[in-house]
Amino acid sequence: MRDGIAIATKGLPAVALVTEAFWPQGDFVAESFGMPDIPRLKLPHPVAGTGQQKMREIADALVKQMLGALVR
Amino acid sequence: MSDYLTAESEIEALEWLHDQGLTDGLPVVIPTPERVDRLVLATGQPADLTLGTMGPAGGAATIEKVAVAAVMAGCLPDHMPVIVAAVQAILDDRFDLTEMQATTHCTAPLMIVNGPARVDCGGIAASFGALGPGFRANASIGRALRLTMMNIGGARPGVSDMALLGHPGKFSYCLAEDEEVSPFPPLHVALGFDQFDSVVTVVGAEAPHSVMYSGDADAEDNHEGLLRVLAIGLGNLATNNAILTSGTATVVLNPEHAQILAEAGLSREDICQALYERCRHSEEDIAAVNPGFARGESTRTHRSCFTSPDQILLMVAGGAGLYSMVMPSWCAGHHRNSAVSRVIELDAFCEIPV
Repeated sequence: MRDGIAIATKGLPAVALVTEAFWPQGDFVAESFGMPDIPRLKLPHPVAGTGQQKMREIADALVKQMLGALVR
Repeated sequence: MSDYLTAESEIEALEWLHDQGLTDGLPVVIPTPERVDRLVLATGQPADLTLGTMGPAGGAATIEKVAVAAVMAGCLPDHMPVIVAAVQAILDDRFDLTEMQATTHCTAPLMIVNGPARVDCGGIAASFGALGPGFRANASIGRALRLTMMNIGGARPGVSDMALLGHPGKFSYCLAEDEEVSPFPPLHVALGFDQFDSVVTVVGAEAPHSVMYSGDADAEDNHEGLLRVLAIGLGNLATNNAILTSGTATVVLNPEHAQILAEAGLSREDICQALYERCRHSEEDIAAVNPGFARGESTRTHRSCFTSPDQILLMVAGGAGLYSMVMPSWCAGHHRNSAVSRVIELDAFCEIPV
């Protein structure tokens, strides 16, 4: 989330990828930085350690939304 | 300056503080203006003096806000110099507080106090049970630091503090070094401070892990067994130190164990060097338990848990006996779990009449 904010504050397109379990923390950080509307996408939790196949499925499911958020 | 809230009674105020998530879950002393002013006065500093900005919420750590936390924790005016220095230490960039508060690891700031402040600031325990209950200064000072992290820094379990379980040291984690019984120069002297300085050292630490060693005074290599078990505990394969490496970790020798090492002719530096050399694992062993962190190098290559012996903080405390303690660490953040030491300014503080 902080990386997304850091990139966005440089004026570059950014979207933060946040897993479901960390969604409230994402909201907290976004509000703490005064950027409550910073673009973010919700991923299932967990992602790490779920294997290549599962991660590929998650990427495939989200890639359009991700690109959409970046080119808005 | 802070806004004031009103309540019909202290019990009502306490319940409100609990409901708002402003406590650590235990009852607190209600921070009335009179109580807060008294601790602000003890610091000798203006109430609105800002020590820094505390993440992740970005709250301003003013003397007044710190005093509010100290009142809530049950602190005495004498405790304030240690608390102010500790807050300054965790606000140091090298401590990576914002990242530390947000991590899923259980890390908590361990406070180690050296020098005259051990006596002057309320009697900070260094001997039997120093990390357990029963010592007001240890309990209150450590708790005050945690309450600043929660109420100024905004650390909320499961929302902004993502520690998966945390550990009991997140309530309070403070002790002094027993310099009088230690066969080694005090920790703060080893870190470059004057022996007459008072210093608080903060370091992100896991809960203490007990290390048992029953020595054999007749054995020529008595100290070797002790070094071996200390290294097993400090850099065991389940720790971040073994896998991520490079995070400062802590060893608390009880006086008996310290004596075994000193009688073998080992200095503090020798002990840290010996532990550094022993805390290492083959890539094969790391890959076997944590394949996601394997580096794909030769399985015979070894990974050191620490970048240098300086990343091992060695101190003496506790009662004499079979058990010492090790605290492995988080090892992440930009500065990779650096310890930060800060002089405790005793001269600036005012003595407050009871």
